[in-house]
This record gives sequence, C-alpha cells and structure tokens, in this order.
Amino acid sequence: MLKLTHTSLVLIVFSLFSISMALTFGAADISSNQVFHCLLTQCDNTLSQTIVWQIRLPRVLVGFAAGAGLACAGAILQNTTRNPLADPYLFGIVSGAGLGATIASLAFHFNMGNQLSIALPLAAFLGALLSITLIFLLANFVQRIEQLLLAGVAISFMLGAITQFMLYIGEPMATNRVLFWLMGSLARVEMSQFYIIAAVVVTAIIVILAYHQHIDALALGDENAASLGVNVNKLRLLMLALCAAITAVIVAYCGGIAFVGLMIPHIVRHYLGSSTLKLIIGSSFVGGCFLIWVDVIARSAVNNLELPIGIITSIIGSLFFLFIMMQGNRTHD
Amino acid sequence: MTSLLNVTDLTWSVANKNILQNISFTLEQGEIVGIIGPNGAGKTSLLRCILQYFNNYQGEIRFKDQNIQSLNRRFIAQHIAVVNQINEPVFKLAVIDVVRMGLLPYKSLFASESKEDKQTIAQALEKTGLTVLKNEEFTHLSGGEQQRALIARALVQKADLLILDEPTNHLDVFYQHQILQLIKSLNLTVLMTIHDLNLANDYCSRLILLDHGKIIADGSNDQVLQTQQLSEVFGLPCQQIIDPITGSKKVYFKATADLKNGVEYA
Repeated sequence: MLKLTHTSLVLIVFSLFSISMALTFGAADISSNQVFHCLLTQCDNTLSQTIVWQIRLPRVLVGFAAGAGLACAGAILQNTTRNPLADPYLFGIVSGAGLGATIASLAFHFNMGNQLSIALPLAAFLGALLSITLIFLLANFVQRIEQLLLAGVAISFMLGAITQFMLYIGEPMATNRVLFWLMGSLARVEMSQFYIIAAVVVTAIIVILAYHQHIDALALGDENAASLGVNVNKLRLLMLALCAAITAVIVAYCGGIAFVGLMIPHIVRHYLGSSTLKLIIGSSFVGGCFLIWVDVIARSAVNNLELPIGIITSIIGSLFFLFIMMQGNRTHD
Repeated sequence: MTSLLNVTDLTWSVANKNILQNISFTLEQGEIVGIIGPNGAGKTSLLRCILQYFNNYQGEIRFKDQNIQSLNRRFIAQHIAVVNQINEPVFKLAVIDVVRMGLLPYKSLFASESKEDKQTIAQALEKTGLTVLKNEEFTHLSGGEQQRALIARALVQKADLLILDEPTNHLDVFYQHQILQLIKSLNLTVLMTIHDLNLANDYCSRLILLDHGKIIADGSNDQVLQTQQLSEVFGLPCQQIIDPITGSKKVYFKATADLKNGVEYA
C-alpha cells in the first residue's frame, strides 16, 4: 500500500508538471514566465489571457482526460477479457463513431458550420452507441469472451466499410472533414467539453475501482471468479458499458486516437503489476500525461502546421506493438 | 444431524445426451469424499452442477438443507470454496493477491482490508507454507505451489466445504502427497475428483465411483475399490495387492490386451 501511495504521489506530481509545461507550448509566442504569471496571478494582456485560458488550458485538460480515459478503458477491457491485446478500438466503437460523423457531415452542408460543430460529435456519439448496442446484442449469443472480441472486430470492419462507401460517393468537402476528424485532434476543444469528458471518465473510474477485486478475480478464469461470488456476466457487461461510454465521449470530441488504450496499460503493467487498482490508477495518470505530450508534439513539431494527434499515437503505438511482440518471442525462446 | 450436502436424482444433459444420470448421494460434515472414475465419467460435470456453473439440471442439490439454487452467490462463496484445475493467468499477479481474493465474498465494494483480514491471509499463507513466496508472481510458482496458493485462498474464504477438481493433476509424487496431506490436515469437509485410485484410497474417507454419468459404487474405500468393479469400469484387468512397505491395499491395472482400438477387458 505504501508503495502505491508513493507511486501515486510521483504520478500526480508528474501530471501537474506535464499540464503546466504543456501550457507553454503553442503557436503564439508567449514565454513560460508569462504563462505561469497568467495562471497564478494575472495575465499581462488580454491576448495571452485568451490564449492561455481559453485555448491552451482546455486543450491540455481535455488531452489529459482523454488520455486517462482511453488508457483506463483499454486496461479494463484487457483485464476483464483476459486478453492483453484488447483495446476500445477493437470493439468497433470508433468505427461506429466514424459512421455517425460521416452521416452528419454529409447531411449538413459545409457552410452550416455552427450546426455541424454540435451535430458532428453528437452523431459520432450516436454511432458509437450503435456499435455498442450491436456488441451487446451479440454478447447474448456468444459463449466465450474471445468470441466477443472477434465479434467486435467484425462489427468494426462492417461499420468501417459502410463509412468508406459513403465517403467514396459523398461530396469531397464533407469527405475531407470526416477524414480529418478521424485522424484525431484536440485543436477545437472547449472547456465545456472538458467537463463532460472528465465527468464521464471520473465516474467510470470510480465504478471500476469499486469493483477492482472482482475484476482481479477474473484473472484466474471465469469459474474461479464465480466461485468467489462474482456475477461474471454482469460484471463484464458493466465494464464493457463503462469502456464504451468513456470511448464514445472521447471519440465524439477528439476524433480517432488509436493505440493509447493498448499501449499505456502495457507499460503500467510492467512497472506496477496487473492488479486492477494499481493498473487503473497508473494508467489514468500515465495515459493523461502521454496524450498531453503527444499533443505538444502535434502542435509544435512542424512550424505552422498542426499534425493530427491520432497519426502520432498510431506511429508510436504500432512501433510499440512490434516491440512487445518481439519481446514476447524472446521470452518464449 | 443434517447432512452438509444432499444431491438427489441429479440428471444433467447436453444436446439430449445425459452427462449425469440420477446421481444421488449425501456428504456429511468432516468427510473427505473422492469421486473416481474414467475420463468422461462426469466427475467434473458433477462438481460443476454442485457449484452452479451449470444450473439447468433436473433433480435437487441441497446445501445445509436449502435448495442451492435459492441461495445467492455470495452466500455460496462464503460456505463453499473451490480449487479448480489451474487456469494460467495471462497477467502477473502476486501470490498474496491470489490469496486475498478469498476475502471477496465478505467485502462490500469500497471496504478496505482490516487488521483481521491481514491476519487471516497471513495464517492461510503460513498454513500452506507460502509465507516466503507471498510476493512472488503466481505464474512463476510450481504446480504444487499454485495449488497451495489456491488452497490458501480457500482458507481465507473460511468455507465449510472445500471442492477440488483433480488437485494432484500434473504434480509429481512429492507434491501429490504434500497437497493431499495438506487437504487432510485442514479438518474441512472435502469433495474432490481424483484420478489416482491409490492416492484416493490413502487420503479419502469415502469414495464414489462414477462411470457414464452414473454412480457405480458409493461407500467405504474397500467397498468401492473392488477389483471386479474397477476392471469393468476402467476396461483393464485389475488386481489388488498389499503394499509390503506400508501395509495398505493397492490396486493396479495390467495392460495385457492390445489397447490401440480400445479393446475391452472381457
């Protein structure tokens, strides 16, 4: 327990450091002194006031909440399905959101920008709900949890194919918009969105932590957990629903950000072990910090060009994926 | 005195095939009952029905004079502990994490571990000889140590009935005896499936012989381990000898016939 409190302290300090440091990066030329001055007392001028409080802070906070949420969703899917490769993206949640976003983009004309800014995340959220509903319906028919994962992959491809077909025949402007959205970005987030994402993520984490020992019991098999009084099916559906809610709300506002849910829990497992309590606490902080720094790269790596955040996480993630695969091979030798 | 467990006329079938047929037996407090029989006899299925992993059976299973289907999971988990055949965990868990799971049936969602809980866990680790290994990874333990860890978890569960599915499977001779001695020393009511008939004879107080989902014999070890009966059930000629060293009865099978095609002993 002492070890956990120590680790938590280190993680909290690093998170605060990441959040404050990330605020000093951006297109506008504001020195770090000015930023801290702005945060702690008063801004030098209204421009930096606007930039720090209305542009950078929401972005960094949403980044943290989204990273934490995706990492936790991945961690919990992995522990409840006993599959180290489970990831919220495997369940077709993002494909569903993509389909929703596509329909919204095609339905609204490009000059109806204002309506679209509400309609797109809403449609993405509804799309995510659609894929979750499909998975829940399928869950009634599958016997084994591995099949549920495969069903998720199948749904993901199916919804993806419908999306691609609509983009193919759709109007180029709308197609562009959806493609950019699918690549993921924190560029257009607002403080109100942070509150929504944070509320969902924090609620989900509290529920997950309440059940942490029940989830641990699944590690030795469903029957083992059942013999300890755990209602395995209900627990798994509850966790799946929480993951879905986390992912849907993040995807709706930030677009596609792949691999965070796969990669971060793996790293945390390596250092803190796999018990759910440690894994969730570790994953939320590490995931949050990770996404903050990825976003810093996204907006400062190339001058005057904002890189989509999903591209960066995908590059880092796929390399990481190959790395664990090779490590796995080595331990089997 | 009422029996701890009453199984009456239990029949369980899958796709119209009877896996278990009219099984009836009782389990008294303090007994160590071994379920023996060939592969596919229904030994594990019987345990699974009792544990309610399958509940679409006919007949009735009563625990402490109550229909087990009317009891909630938590209650069952507080009274019946299970040591299943080991399912290798994918993720790293420390031995103490596995043992601590035994508290689960007693804990509300946000409850933290009390001093008493810690003591219970320490005692269970002590009793199973795992104190020094408590921080090791469960997957790094030997088969025998993993079994002991699961038994330690069962002790933390403070159950009255311990159910084990092939506790000596994959264990070498030393660990087989170690585990069975440990089980015997716990003074619990035990129901276990076991393959090795001589070990069953050494450690069980009563045996139940199953074949094709039916009870062939239920009684004292001597009554059940009769050579004619075992020959018919296992399809091999069986003989009984007195072990010259221990003086206990041993059964052994002689594979005379060509067994490739499953030729039965006539």
